[in-house]
Amino acid sequence: MAAENHFDDLSEKAARKDLGYYLRAIFFGRPARLVVLLLFIALILIPVIFVISTSFKIPLEIRLGGSIFPQQGVVTINWTNAFENVPLFKFLTNSTFVAVVSTILALLVAVPATYSIIRFKTGGWFLPSWILGTYVMPPIVVSVPIFALVKAVGLQDQLMGITLVHAMANIPIAVWLIDSYVRTIPRELEHAAWIDGYSKFDTLLKVVLPLIRPGVMAAGVICMILSWNEFLFALILTYSVRSNTFPIGISRFIGEHGMQFGEMSAAALAGMIPIYILVFFTSRSLVEGLTRGGVKG
Amino acid sequence: MNSSLEKHSPKLMVLPVFIVLLLISLVPLIYVLGISFTQSTLSKPFNDFIWFENYKKAFTDEIFGASLVNTLLFAFIVTTIQTFLGFVLAFAMQKERKLSGLFRTLALLPLFTPPVAVAMIWRLIYDPNSGFLNYYMRQFGIFEKSVAFLGDPKLAFPAIMFADIWQWTPFCFLLCLAALQSLPRDPYEAAAVDGASAWQVFRRLTLPMVAPQVLVVFLFRFLIALKVFDLVYMLTFGGPGNSTQVASFYIYRVGFKQFNIGYAGALSILVLILISVLATGLTKGRDFLLRKLE
Repeated sequence: MAAENHFDDLSEKAARKDLGYYLRAIFFGRPARLVVLLLFIALILIPVIFVISTSFKIPLEIRLGGSIFPQQGVVTINWTNAFENVPLFKFLTNSTFVAVVSTILALLVAVPATYSIIRFKTGGWFLPSWILGTYVMPPIVVSVPIFALVKAVGLQDQLMGITLVHAMANIPIAVWLIDSYVRTIPRELEHAAWIDGYSKFDTLLKVVLPLIRPGVMAAGVICMILSWNEFLFALILTYSVRSNTFPIGISRFIGEHGMQFGEMSAAALAGMIPIYILVFFTSRSLVEGLTRGGVKG
Repeated sequence: MNSSLEKHSPKLMVLPVFIVLLLISLVPLIYVLGISFTQSTLSKPFNDFIWFENYKKAFTDEIFGASLVNTLLFAFIVTTIQTFLGFVLAFAMQKERKLSGLFRTLALLPLFTPPVAVAMIWRLIYDPNSGFLNYYMRQFGIFEKSVAFLGDPKLAFPAIMFADIWQWTPFCFLLCLAALQSLPRDPYEAAAVDGASAWQVFRRLTLPMVAPQVLVVFLFRFLIALKVFDLVYMLTFGGPGNSTQVASFYIYRVGFKQFNIGYAGALSILVLILISVLATGLTKGRDFLLRKLE
């Protein structure tokens, strides 16, 4: 804890108090930091506040004015219109199905694979680089063959088609995220389990899995959000209300019906709120999962 | 039988991943490579074998060239700004222990907002009538008339970049913060004993120690930024003209709007080669930079 205050102590100790000293004191001082941080909060929140307030403005006011907060009263007509004119509820249930099922599938495949890759070096150096390469590759590059593949098995414009594609696309990310959690488990625990007669599968299930649960949780939530937000594959694989996920559903509706800004704001929020609630309850493990996976080198 | 199952179980555990990787990368890439040598439409793939005609066409395609330049520009500009801002914010945040939990939760919000909603929000903000940007610009007398940011060939691309910076700066912030917090304490205590100034501590200790990880953040974000598609699709559809045309969107247009998947295949292969070269070059460049910093 003592180390935290060193910067402040040090600036007082600095020998020569020339102009540079004062400039640095301003840039490194606490007031400057707080200003930077307040600006940061404002920049993050203003767009979100604006879309919330727009969704409650009177439609005429939206068309004419542009101040952030409603000036002429608050109405809920944009919300009722959005749910009545757009099959928003259907899009949201579609998205929920796709996100939940694809995440479960992705984890079922990714967890044992990650364990095997880290612990038994299965696939050597090649498999991990292949996984990372698949993640770096822009999805548009493989969109035509994926489209052909899904069509060949008769799953185009069906929820199961987009679900399977999301599951497959998220597996490299899930492996990448769970990787650092598996690495931290002491080998001795597994050796002890083997001596007790556990098979490798049993060891994974009964010894390793409970220990990497935070990582699997984080990977699961991130995969779910990525599937919920995914645009390109949903765009080429779903063409009707039956299978449209939320992003495609509303973008298509705006294209074809020319949605009003009020409805659009309400519709956008309807897709954002579930994510924000999820983020709110899992933020700690999300941050840990992201940063551990992200700065490995 | 049981012991042979046990012996092979590590392989069994990776088998599904292996199959998935075949299905989503290797097989599709072979398909794309094959189709790039043919004249194909979405309904009639592998129609006519034409060797390198598609590639020849790509090298003289000005829109494709412009889309590559735009993609690289976009990725480089947004990544540089996001990494810089993310680092400054993380550095400012580092000592605010009490606030950091709240900040990290807040930072996750833009990052995980559906891109389609991000696009809608910024469309609304940029709108000449309904958006607050024009409203306040007029109020403060900066503009006399409203500006259609997304309809102006000069402003549309910066407008998309700004929306992207809003969404992704938090990502760089979170990773830079984690990097700063993982630094060892001892050198700082030694510097304090020696009476080093805050600037000296930053320049001589923090920066060299954290640079490798910040470069990783840059590289990681840069490779993701090259995939840019959603915001362009939702905000400008590549327009006005082709001023916001990017590689992913152009390939989508050729393949799924003009149904010319043979040509889209050739473009895909070229983009993939470019990205592989870039990724290798940047990784090498990072090692070189790090050696210089030492």
